[in-house]
Amino acid sequence: MINKQNGEEFDIEIDKTVGKPFIDDAKFSTRNVEVFYGDKQAIFDASIDIGKNQITAMIGPSGCGKSTLLRCLNRMNDTIQDCRISGAIKLDGEDIYQKHQDPVLLRARVGMVFQKPNPFPKSIYDNVAYGAKLHGLASNKIELDALVEKSLIRAGLFKEVKDLLHKPGTGLSGGQQQRLCIARTIAIDPEVILMDEPTSALDPIATAVIEELMISLSKKYTIVIVTHSMQQAARVSQRTAYFHMGHLVEVNKTNTVFTNPEHQLTENYITGRFG
Amino acid sequence: MISNTKKIQAKLAKRYAKEKRFRIYGLSAIAVSVAFLSLLIINISITGFPAFQQTYINIDIDIDRKLLKLDAQYSEEALFKANYRKIINQSLNTMFPSAKGRKQKKALRQLVSKSAVYQLRDFVINNPDTIGTRQSLWFLARDDVDVFMKGNINRDLPESERRLKNFQLVWIDKLLAENRLEKRFNITFFTQGDSREPEQAGIKGAMMGSLLTMLVTMLLSFPIGVSAAVYLEEFAPKNNKWVDIIEININNLAAVPSIVFGLLGLAVFIGFFGVPRSVPLIGGLVLTLMTLPTIIISSRAALKAVPPSIREAALGLGASRVQTTFHHVVPAAMPGILTGTIIGMAQALGETAPLLMIGMVAFIADVPQGITDPATVLPVQIYLWSDSPERAFTEKTSAAIMVLLGFLVVMNFLAVIMRKKFEKKW
Repeated sequence: MINKQNGEEFDIEIDKTVGKPFIDDAKFSTRNVEVFYGDKQAIFDASIDIGKNQITAMIGPSGCGKSTLLRCLNRMNDTIQDCRISGAIKLDGEDIYQKHQDPVLLRARVGMVFQKPNPFPKSIYDNVAYGAKLHGLASNKIELDALVEKSLIRAGLFKEVKDLLHKPGTGLSGGQQQRLCIARTIAIDPEVILMDEPTSALDPIATAVIEELMISLSKKYTIVIVTHSMQQAARVSQRTAYFHMGHLVEVNKTNTVFTNPEHQLTENYITGRFG
Repeated sequence: MISNTKKIQAKLAKRYAKEKRFRIYGLSAIAVSVAFLSLLIINISITGFPAFQQTYINIDIDIDRKLLKLDAQYSEEALFKANYRKIINQSLNTMFPSAKGRKQKKALRQLVSKSAVYQLRDFVINNPDTIGTRQSLWFLARDDVDVFMKGNINRDLPESERRLKNFQLVWIDKLLAENRLEKRFNITFFTQGDSREPEQAGIKGAMMGSLLTMLVTMLLSFPIGVSAAVYLEEFAPKNNKWVDIIEININNLAAVPSIVFGLLGLAVFIGFFGVPRSVPLIGGLVLTLMTLPTIIISSRAALKAVPPSIREAALGLGASRVQTTFHHVVPAAMPGILTGTIIGMAQALGETAPLLMIGMVAFIADVPQGITDPATVLPVQIYLWSDSPERAFTEKTSAAIMVLLGFLVVMNFLAVIMRKKFEKKW
């Protein structure tokens, strides 16, 4: 097939994913996933396992389908009307797209942090408490207060905001807002956290704080991160998946992908020849 | 590069001139609108302000037991039914013995408002010990006297062209000389319903009618309009043929002349459902039809303006679509929704045409007590008064316009306060 890279046409085959897409201790596993937006196919035959308590990074040029696959994992694509998904996506061995599966429950188990910090236009406290209130996780005010405090501490934000808990969350700096969003996500104690370019709107210092946070959170949670920064993928992730024009090109241990890529396209991308 | 700089420089002066011209256009547009608006307000104020004063006339009344045909022991009913008109006429005759003949005596009686009879009756019932005494009482003056007092009858005109004849002017001069004519604050205007007699006419009926009609409109159009907007914006399938048809129709409805809604209300609500005519309930229903498109369109715009990231954040936390909508999207859109609603309500408050169709143009003297009492509304009252031949209604028309504008200003002010209140939360 013909692939375009930087205006040049490469004649490189993407038949099937190279590397080691499958592992034993998988939290998520996708098999032959194809995603269509109307007539346009966004993902071709993606099969990948996502390891438990690991950080899996998804990299690739813009429009390669990495965000689309990420949003399939908590069924956020359900809200897009002409989005069709085929194949199987299993969380702990259960297909999340089965009829009896509830997207609300799924999203409580699989939290998400977005590209642009999007705190609710409410107080910091209410931002963190919202999910817990929604799912009835705290039975009284004292429990809720404790939960909010714990979540903020784990998101590394508590010290900075402990006197501002009832001030609007939108008044914080970008990095603080993103950590608030992470605190909001971990307040409902999900099993998996999906992060869609969580630092692309932040400066390097805030980015470093978030990256550290990710590493510490990965002890407890399974994390999937979509990123444009290869350095970030290299710094935080254990496994890396490279996407190209809707195809899952290569999956392997992060080290292997960056030092010894199997596929020509992966090599081109990580050596900066395009993308 | 140098040539580029020169090219740009050459055009700079022209660009600045263009900007300056544009500023002048804008400023003159604003100046023209401000001028017209102040012209309107000044004109209405000058015409309307005299209506807030009313002429009262002082008469010495002999509360004569014989004339009232009351025995030493009288029943309450007899007191209520006694002929008070007679003692007022008698007292006037005593004050102006010069009045001779039927015509002049009739004119003499017409110095005082017809309401004087009821006023005197109430006075006597409340103070029964005044029977048999002489009391100096103030009554409403007839509208002609009032118009004269406000300088709107020119005594230099020939007698045949004047509402007040020469002998009447003599009486008025005498009353003035004795300080028996006085302009006071017109409390009647705010405490009474409509009347055929200008001096007795007030806007309380119309104000209550407007208030009740607005209440019905508000209670119906806000929940229906907002629900429709929320459904269409948040839940309805996109690119669906039926949704598109509904959308186009709502947009078209916003442009339908309001009188058509009146005809619809007449046919459907009165003709089919048998809602009584002329009542605030039917007025509210018709104005709801008229206001709905405005509320739906502005609410949808407000909902659309809520950033999708808020919806994603809530959905990502496991909120259902309904929870996402009502916990986050609707509160965030609330200032816009309220603004749209109040604009719609202000429109409805000033609406006349559809109400003519459903009988709210009837002459109703009673102040409505509920949404099923016959009533009229402020703009219709203005229309009715502007149509009345009596000179004294002219100023009342303007005064009613001032009250209506006051209502609108208050509503807009409320809108601003509510916006501020809801926006503060964020």
